[in-house]
Amino acid sequence: MLLRIDGLHKHFGANHVLKGIDLRIDEGQVVAIIGRSGSGKSTLLRSINGLETFDDGLIEVDGERLYAGQTDLRALRQKVGMVFQQFNLFPHLSAGQNVMLAPQVVKKTPVAECETIARAMLAKVGLAEKFDAYPDQLSGGQQQRVAIARALAMQPKVLLCDEITSALDPELVNEVLAVVKQLASEGMTLIMVTHEMRFAREVGDKLVFMYQGRVHESGHPKDLFASPQTPELQNFIGAIN
Amino acid sequence: MAYSFDFTAVAQYHTQLAVGVGYTLMLTALGAVLGVTLGTLGAVVRAWRIRPFAQLFGLYVELIRNTPFIVQLFFIFFGLPALGLRLGEWQAAIIAVVINLGAYSTEIIRAGIQAIPRGQIEAAGSLAMTRTQIFRHVVLQPALQKVWPALSSQIVIVMLGTSVCSQIAAEELTFAANFIQSRNFRAFETYIVVALIYLALSVGVRALLNQIGQRFVVKRRPA
Repeated sequence: MLLRIDGLHKHFGANHVLKGIDLRIDEGQVVAIIGRSGSGKSTLLRSINGLETFDDGLIEVDGERLYAGQTDLRALRQKVGMVFQQFNLFPHLSAGQNVMLAPQVVKKTPVAECETIARAMLAKVGLAEKFDAYPDQLSGGQQQRVAIARALAMQPKVLLCDEITSALDPELVNEVLAVVKQLASEGMTLIMVTHEMRFAREVGDKLVFMYQGRVHESGHPKDLFASPQTPELQNFIGAIN
Repeated sequence: MAYSFDFTAVAQYHTQLAVGVGYTLMLTALGAVLGVTLGTLGAVVRAWRIRPFAQLFGLYVELIRNTPFIVQLFFIFFGLPALGLRLGEWQAAIIAVVINLGAYSTEIIRAGIQAIPRGQIEAAGSLAMTRTQIFRHVVLQPALQKVWPALSSQIVIVMLGTSVCSQIAAEELTFAANFIQSRNFRAFETYIVVALIYLALSVGVRALLNQIGQRFVVKRRPA
């Protein structure tokens, strides 16, 4: 087991957004988290690398534990990469420099080696020739692929994807999903909050349906889509089809 | 009434003028470097609410921005000796300029820092960078880039404001002007010349700051 979440609770003021989440994820699994907006899926994902604090419970990734109120997140974050809806590339750095920065600054890897890593990661996402391009010279799909390369350069054990295709024009969605699919086939552990149901069904090993701050139903995507057990999931699947 | 201009009466004091220009520029350069450094420090502390320094800097900014520069200068030069701190006119002038620009640039640079999208800081955090690393590599350059024009204007304003330092006998350009017109009794010509010199200095300093901006702030790092 690579990732374990036990009894995770989170409040935003009076709003109880995570009401005791338990989750187990094995190495190499591709997990899709689905649910309506406000169901807590993004908050859950963001908790896993400390972008949201939580009030109670435990998160453990590859033996690295995170407790409620913990402030030193660096050890955990070295194991958990994240890709965001809005790409969030650093605009003053080229694609290559975006990828090189963290290995250079955090891991103190020599610059030449960082460049090798960055070129390899950009090649992996199909952007080898864009090393010197700046974010504003790239399409949304390309920017998102650079963001994936940037996360991969830190060699994370698990990659979190927070609605990574939601800000993209429809024709650019597939180039990003193709990269994710390739990562999945290489055995990367992926946890994605997504609205791409078809992709979740095709590539996912596990589907987690969140409803009102709880894991309402989970299982293999094919089973869940074929025969949802709860009326809420039935409704949700019905609403998007 | 016909007034006959006599600029030679000013020209013969070119040495004093040159010295005045030199001091004005020195005061501006030193003030800009130290003031903007102080302002960057203040901006970080304020933007990231580092206690208790954030509150202290907040107080400092309000104090300086809501009082006249000449009062700040007189306080340092004439007031502090009461506490046994006796400063020369140059020391007092430089300290006053740095403190003044420090306060304004704190707010200008803070605006730049707060304009950095939160997502970029989160992305850097998710890559396990520390706060200091994030500031140095992700925040500082884009923040300065955003506010460089405002910062440049403030530096020019401060340069013009150094004329006030003539009141404590710091021999900058306005001091030279006062001195010259008290000798040649040609106040009209003297202040025309000095005004033109200030105009030229402002244009020059602004151009220089633009260059610096292009070179070090806006320019993308070589790969």
